[in-house]
Amino acid sequence: MGHHKTFSDDPKVDPALAGKLFKVGIGVGVVGLLATAATLAMGEEGRHQFFFSWLTAFSFFTTIALGALFFTILHHLVRATWSAGWRRTAENIAANLPLMAVLFIPILVGMHDIYHWTHEEVVATDEIIKWKAPYLNTGFFVIRAVVFFGAWIAMALFFRRNSIKQDESGDVALTFRMRWWAPVCTLIFVMTMTFAHFDWLMSLDPHWFSTIFGVVIFAGAMMSCYATLSLIGLWYTKNGILQNTITQGNLHDAAKMMFGFTVFWAYVSFSQYYLIWYGNIPEETAWYALRLDHGWQWVGIAVLFGHFMIPFWFLMSRHMKRSRTALAIGAGWMLLMHFVDLYYMIMPTLHHGFHPHWADLTALIGMGGLFVAFFGRRLASDAVVAYRDPQLVASMEYDNV
Amino acid sequence: MSAHTKSPDGVFPPPLVQGGHDFGSVTDTICKIVEEPPTAGWFAAFAVASSVLAMLGGCIAWLIWEGTGIWGLNNPVGWGWAIVNFVFWVGIGHAGTLISAILFLFRQRWRTAINRFAEAMTIFAVICALVFPGIHVGRIWAAYWMAPLPNQMAMWPNFRSPLLWDVFAVSTYFTVSLLFWYVGLVPDLATLRDRAKGKIRYYAYGLFALGWRGANRHWQNYERAYLLLAGLATPLVLSVHTIVSFDFAVSVIPGWHTTIFPPYFVAGAIFSGFAMVQTLAVPSRKIFGLEDFITVRHVENMNKVILVTGTMVGYAYAMEFFIAWYSAAPYESFAFINRMFGPFGWAYFIMVSCNVITPQLFWSKRIRTSMTWTFILSIFVNIGMWFERFVITMSLHRDFVPSSWDYYSPTVFDILTFVGSFGLFFTLFLLFLKFLPAVAIAEIKGVMPEADPHWDGYHDAHVAKAEEASHG
Repeated sequence: MGHHKTFSDDPKVDPALAGKLFKVGIGVGVVGLLATAATLAMGEEGRHQFFFSWLTAFSFFTTIALGALFFTILHHLVRATWSAGWRRTAENIAANLPLMAVLFIPILVGMHDIYHWTHEEVVATDEIIKWKAPYLNTGFFVIRAVVFFGAWIAMALFFRRNSIKQDESGDVALTFRMRWWAPVCTLIFVMTMTFAHFDWLMSLDPHWFSTIFGVVIFAGAMMSCYATLSLIGLWYTKNGILQNTITQGNLHDAAKMMFGFTVFWAYVSFSQYYLIWYGNIPEETAWYALRLDHGWQWVGIAVLFGHFMIPFWFLMSRHMKRSRTALAIGAGWMLLMHFVDLYYMIMPTLHHGFHPHWADLTALIGMGGLFVAFFGRRLASDAVVAYRDPQLVASMEYDNV
Repeated sequence: MSAHTKSPDGVFPPPLVQGGHDFGSVTDTICKIVEEPPTAGWFAAFAVASSVLAMLGGCIAWLIWEGTGIWGLNNPVGWGWAIVNFVFWVGIGHAGTLISAILFLFRQRWRTAINRFAEAMTIFAVICALVFPGIHVGRIWAAYWMAPLPNQMAMWPNFRSPLLWDVFAVSTYFTVSLLFWYVGLVPDLATLRDRAKGKIRYYAYGLFALGWRGANRHWQNYERAYLLLAGLATPLVLSVHTIVSFDFAVSVIPGWHTTIFPPYFVAGAIFSGFAMVQTLAVPSRKIFGLEDFITVRHVENMNKVILVTGTMVGYAYAMEFFIAWYSAAPYESFAFINRMFGPFGWAYFIMVSCNVITPQLFWSKRIRTSMTWTFILSIFVNIGMWFERFVITMSLHRDFVPSSWDYYSPTVFDILTFVGSFGLFFTLFLLFLKFLPAVAIAEIKGVMPEADPHWDGYHDAHVAKAEEASHG
């Protein structure tokens, strides 16, 4: 029978390391967000900048957390084996969704600054926005946001709690239970994810519409989830965590999925752009017209090459996926590109010409600090791997030879 | 993997090959279908299929003689059943490559039992699909103009037209699918050659087996070629139906021009392809005694794919409807209300019932493991997906000028041509069943426990032998 592996790592992280992560994360978070808040003192323009920078950073981390939530659901839905070692990490990232719900509050506060359709005088005079008022109105928007976060947090907690219960009991019934719920959760996830981003991002331009928009956001979210997992896996193994559990094969597989979703993102983004360009109907092209002028076209080209053309060749390489340095560069780069992609969707609504602002960076760093801090707290509280998952050993045995 | 045996029941799926087969009995069971003389049932089916094929020939001949006036096309509806049938068949052709390429890359080993005939089905479906653009052009003798051939008249097809991209996309797809299928067949053709009783049989299979001897080097090259073809075929699974969707979506016709069309068409194609695989697999496994290879688990997995892709199609319908309202574009809203409650509302309800509602029955494990239910629901999906393309095409019947609105009715030639394409499909499929192994023999062996060099059975046999020796 030969070379059977057994789980031999410490499922717990050194509390000092996790504690440090939490402390540093909180520190960076508070400083970063306070610095961002300084724009609020800079008049109306500064206030607008604050909310748009906030929305961009918020969307970045929310999509990563949602990607991780769907990773967990997908693992159970398809009864995957390879991802058993990654499962807890994804659960821990998705457990940041309550944090994202708190970070959503400033967006509710700043709705009037962010969303044009909240202005009553606009609704009164603009026929198109008036038509959409039954959907795009403040009350319903808030109710929907509560429903979206409620559903996501419930699902994230459900999977994480049952998974941790299994750490204690090793009960296989818990695996079956999570599998049983996975299909229903998939449906809930897909619908909430779509409409959340119709609300938060597509309605930034209340005239514009695209049926594929939800799929574009989904593709970016999944891509960045696999990039985040790869980076965390590299960080774990570098710090002596799960060195024998997160194998080179597992990293290779996560990188493959990152590559796959990079291509999928390109496919759906291209579909959206191309059909709108070819149809050339003013109500649709307005969105791209804004993004292809006054300097924004360079950001668009950066997204085209940085998010797809170059990574396509780089991430395709088997060598890259198995080299720790190259994988770290590739995954870090893809996360950066995910941010640029969201920035390109959001910021032209505020600035009609390309106009980077330091608050974009401080909001990103600040929220990133909090995101890492709360992830660190989960590392301290429970095992970092679902070590009694009945599929874990089999996932360690996979390698791509 | 032997780690699986230590885990509790149900965590890992059951073995892929049932019925206590060894390598020899696998070869025998599958080769028997090809080696035994055709049964009366096969001849009866073949007689029906080839007669229907002859009818297709008659319809096409009359079309070429008389022109497209024999079809039900009218002024607003310039695209009728020909495009519907084309998209229908191309869509069906997606399951084969998805099973053979994408599931291969995803290490879904259950694909091995069904990939061979899903790929065959793909090739035959694409042949059926290619008939329609070929014949619908009117002046059939100028059909070669579809390809960009240099000529002294300096006439070129319109490179900006997705109809031309279809020519490239579908022909690339056909070529790669055929290569993929053939590469996979080579080891099995050699098996049939080695078992051949007659000289003709021996040389015929021998010619196509390309001198395969099962050498280590042969296998290494084979595995590499297979992986590369899987990688090449994967983007094709998406590209073909994406470009087919462009046929509609690059226009500005309400109901056609929407950004979700590419992935929505691909999901629909996989959905219809898997349904056709089920329509063929469920009876075939019974008739030819392949139940140990195409097990209930295989059928159940395919039903799950049908449920998932059917739901994706449902998602696309929902997005189209929501955005039709949300866009506040009056033409878009009209197109969708007309689709539902207009003269073709009946077709819309057939589409939604068969594509979105009935596949939901597969949520029940009892239904998705029942062969009768699977067969019935797969037929529903086939019907629903034909109607989906019909509904989309019929967006034309009420165009921007109400005075030119018209209803579309097919003529008898529309109907017989479509029915005839099934004759072509089944004739090819029946020939395939009789001349080529319907299940990939070599691949099936690869997923059996004996294929693992560390298999317990070898160890046990070794111990038993050693014990025997020591006692002796």
